[in-house]
Amino acid sequence: MQLKNIKAQMTLATCTLLQIAAPSAQAEENEWDIDTAILFYNEGDSRVSAIEPAIYAGRELGDDQRIDLRLVVDVLTGATPNGAHPAPVAQTFTTPSGKDSYTVDPGDNPIDDTFRDTRVAFGADWEIGLDRLSRLTLGGNLSNEYDYQSLGLSATYARDFNDRNTTLSAAVGLSSDTIEAEGGIPSELLPMVVEGGSMNREGADEDKTITDFMIGITQVISRNTIMQLNLSLGTTDGYQNDPFKIVTVVDPATGLPATGAASAFFDTSTTGNLPYVYERRPDTRDRTVLYFKTVHHLDEDVINFSYRFYDDDWEITSHTFDLRYRYELKDSYLQPHIRFYAQDAAEFYTHNLQLGTDVDPTSGAVSANYASNDYRLAESETLTLGLKYGIPLGNDSELSFRGEFISQTVDDGSVPAGEETPDLDAIILQVNYSLVW
Amino acid sequence: MSDKILTRDQDCWRGCFSAMASPCEVLMEVDSEKLAAQVLDAVASEAARIEAKFSRYRDDNIIHTINTAAGKTVEVDDETARLIDFADQLFQMSDGLFDITSGVLRQLWRFDGSDRIPDKSAVNTMLDQVGWQKVEWKDNQIRLDRGMEIDLGGIGKEYAVDRCIQQVSELTDQSVLVNFGGDLASSCQRRDGKFWSVGRLITGKDQAVAMFQLVKGAIATSGDANRYLLKNSIRYSHVLNPKTGWPIADAPHTVSVAAKTCTEAGMFSTLAMLQGSQANEFLRLQGVEHWVD
Repeated sequence: MQLKNIKAQMTLATCTLLQIAAPSAQAEENEWDIDTAILFYNEGDSRVSAIEPAIYAGRELGDDQRIDLRLVVDVLTGATPNGAHPAPVAQTFTTPSGKDSYTVDPGDNPIDDTFRDTRVAFGADWEIGLDRLSRLTLGGNLSNEYDYQSLGLSATYARDFNDRNTTLSAAVGLSSDTIEAEGGIPSELLPMVVEGGSMNREGADEDKTITDFMIGITQVISRNTIMQLNLSLGTTDGYQNDPFKIVTVVDPATGLPATGAASAFFDTSTTGNLPYVYERRPDTRDRTVLYFKTVHHLDEDVINFSYRFYDDDWEITSHTFDLRYRYELKDSYLQPHIRFYAQDAAEFYTHNLQLGTDVDPTSGAVSANYASNDYRLAESETLTLGLKYGIPLGNDSELSFRGEFISQTVDDGSVPAGEETPDLDAIILQVNYSLVW
Repeated sequence: MSDKILTRDQDCWRGCFSAMASPCEVLMEVDSEKLAAQVLDAVASEAARIEAKFSRYRDDNIIHTINTAAGKTVEVDDETARLIDFADQLFQMSDGLFDITSGVLRQLWRFDGSDRIPDKSAVNTMLDQVGWQKVEWKDNQIRLDRGMEIDLGGIGKEYAVDRCIQQVSELTDQSVLVNFGGDLASSCQRRDGKFWSVGRLITGKDQAVAMFQLVKGAIATSGDANRYLLKNSIRYSHVLNPKTGWPIADAPHTVSVAAKTCTEAGMFSTLAMLQGSQANEFLRLQGVEHWVD
């Protein structure tokens, strides 16, 4: 007998004899599973565009342990709505630094084009098999951008029951975020002031804490179907404003942004106050999320459906339906994707504030506790249509391409013509390459 | 089945019985005596079942039926078929050195420590009755030539250990070690990072010469403890080469191998013995943990 390596043959023969699953070669040989992707996102109309390279790497560590690492970089450029609504007159705003200004033409959506940022996020998960049926996953996330830092930690315990057909899991997550606004944190519900003026800022940074608890069940229904149901309760405590989002103060007599003619406070030439106040949101937000997912295998194809229900005490309720169908071709696959998202407006979402009723013309005091015209808090519907094409390349590597078209419609309620929040159309293009190394 | 004895050790329950001509031991890190007794029962009855079904020393089982069919085809059940398929794969993998038809050579070779070496011509004649390639085996149907026999004893004990571990896992999530005469496996890792300590016996010594510290998986040992012939200072090991009918030269006394299952560990230790002086090199090539003496 020539000496030769028969380890893989022997393991397979033994597993067949004992009727147990043969370990996959990659787990046995402790290789890295690597996933690389680059994503392009573009909202059009010179609004946000992003390039997002990402790399994921995971490997078994032996002794029932596994580690997964993620690194994502977001390079964002373009402009983002500042919160004021379009008006039939030209509108001038001060930049976040307070040292410059920009003017928006009559009828145009006010956007701040100084928006530019790079975000770097790193995450790691460490899964530890506790015994044959249960495991603990410890996770950490760190992200950093120009004016925002986030540190998150999580722990998930999962246990299999019922011949491993049922998995129960419980998780807790904690995140601590800090925002450092350029030029200082804007004072809530105080006006934006002309460039170079006294800025209405207080302090350099603010923070918030995000806490989440989740319980979940995953159930194998049949050889072809698996279902998952998660319930999570969470709360965010602390500063939750988008610091440079503003709300227009309107003179009801003219329907235009307030001027010195109606309010001494908003007489810009004497006070420096512009007819826009910095938004204010509550500093707690409690949410309940219910998530259901099912994967069903047909002979070759796979159907993937999920529904997410979200409800919080800002009175935002949302529903997300997501359906993917993986259609196997001869040596590749096509996966159409449709997603529908709908949400209600936050309780304090407002198109603008009215001089006299909402804002005192003399003192500028705002009577409402909270106000925001951020379109992300408005009633809206978003439809996403996508298609992915994947080519398995052998040796556990795969190349895939994904394109998605996103269309969002915001319902402002009854607002004067010309002041509506414009619809948002965006596209996503992604190239993904995964391999075992 | 022999009597089972259950005792309480320092940090586990210990069950003992005897099967397959070996002392059998079950160490259980379970809390209750009741569960320990259940586990011990399950292991002892599975060992007895496998011994009864596959022992070549009985006249009431499938092996006896196959070996006495006198040239006729015998249909076997699925479990027997899986074992024969496995033996067939080992025959291929070992280029014919592992052969379940080689047992008849033991009619000539009696490894009793004496100097009775068989006659060369008798061995050559006997070789006519050896050779898996001569057996017709397909679709659960086996046919041996008249005079040929099969013996699954080279697989049976390790197979029994793994089967018992499977049964144990149905009863408890806690760690259990099954040890049938030095072929052993554990069902899972012990609590608090502890390991199972098992003595390693090597040929010619009464006491364990070393301890295995098993965290998980299995260890199997092949050896020629007291089973050899000695003539003119030549030690003839009990490991026979089915192609020549003579013992493998320079076979190690004892080979132990660690693997995920006891069967895999046992087959590597057996194949290593069949490599003679190249046992070490063979095991290094497989990348398995091993001890050769």
